Amino acid sequence: MSRTPCTAPVPFAALLDYWLGDLDAAREEAIERHLFGCGECCADLERIAELAGGIRALLRRGEIAAAVTPAFVEALRDSGLRLREYGVPCNGSVHCTVAPDDDLLVARLQAPLAGVERLDLVTFEPGEEAPQRLTDIPFSAATGEVVLVPRVDRIRALGESTATMRLVAVEGGGERVLGEYRFLHTP
Amino acid sequence: MEVLSYARRVQRRRDDPTEGDDDAALARRIAAAHPGIDGAAEAALCRRLAPRVRLYGLRHLRDAHAAADLMQQVLMMTLERLRSGAIRDPEQIVSFVFGTSRQLVVHLRRGLARRDRLLQTYADDVPAVDPSHAPALDHARLRDCLERLAERDRSVLVLSFYEERPARSVGDELGLTEANVRVIRHRALQRLRDCVEAGAR
Repeated sequence: MSRTPCTAPVPFAALLDYWLGDLDAAREEAIERHLFGCGECCADLERIAELAGGIRALLRRGEIAAAVTPAFVEALRDSGLRLREYGVPCNGSVHCTVAPDDDLLVARLQAPLAGVERLDLVTFEPGEEAPQRLTDIPFSAATGEVVLVPRVDRIRALGESTATMRLVAVEGGGERVLGEYRFLHTP
Repeated sequence: MEVLSYARRVQRRRDDPTEGDDDAALARRIAAAHPGIDGAAEAALCRRLAPRVRLYGLRHLRDAHAAADLMQQVLMMTLERLRSGAIRDPEQIVSFVFGTSRQLVVHLRRGLARRDRLLQTYADDVPAVDPSHAPALDHARLRDCLERLAERDRSVLVLSFYEERPARSVGDELGLTEANVRVIRHRALQRLRDCVEAGAR
């Protein structure tokens, strides 16, 4: 059973849905019965579990930058991580740093997001000649803020410097700057 | 290609005399050895079942230590029942392991695990097993691959996997439909997997 090739492999999408609890009970049980008898599909699921664990580990070490949500920040805090948060008003600036015992940094950019369909983030990083544009970042208009978790390992390597972020709403054929944010960093 | 595959199977069979046995055959060998112990069959069966039970435990308990406990307990109970002849039909070994895993997850959730007693009685009898199929993940490579994803894709993966949340919950937070989250999640994880595996080759 386990050493013969699987004749009815569970599709990758179904394994992913199973892992994250997106299947109904009957489908979930059918997949579990198959997995208990199939080393091949089990190895595929192991790969998903391993990637999931890797993403968690990198995030906890501050090695992933991502746009997240206020609720997710609370989940990070509830999981025991030490967070340093900076809320920046629209077109404002903030003095910021990262302490040795900080696990993650959180930047909360306040912006008039009502009616915005697509949001881009343009960053001007210290030492970078050209700005970087991140397209279609996720946001929740209801909260009126964009929540970013930057890479802490990169920020720890910075000397005294200033980084600038610009939020741009993309609509119709054009775009509109919603706000600009300056981070005045000291080590 | 088929010749190569056949040669590999022959080599594996030489390396591992249980290679050609399916799960039920191993279970029959263990049961037939009573009152003795077929160590090779027990080790082979544990090697196969361990990752399956551990993954089941991870999926339902979301805790690596609890999943490892579940794996240990299920393997101990399985060997105990096979050795004693309590599993009357070794052909049904997979059903037995699945059913036992399900029951024990309920017990573990309720804090009624038989862990201590089983460990005291049988821990020394269970072959050491590394339940992981895959080689260790290269985190530096994973980090680089994550950076190559589109922002939205990365956000969906981070929100989905940090607490292993279903699509509806992630979608509610990001203002996306459940179906949309599933599509983005599937596509992003496939890209991530392909990128990581390309780096490993």
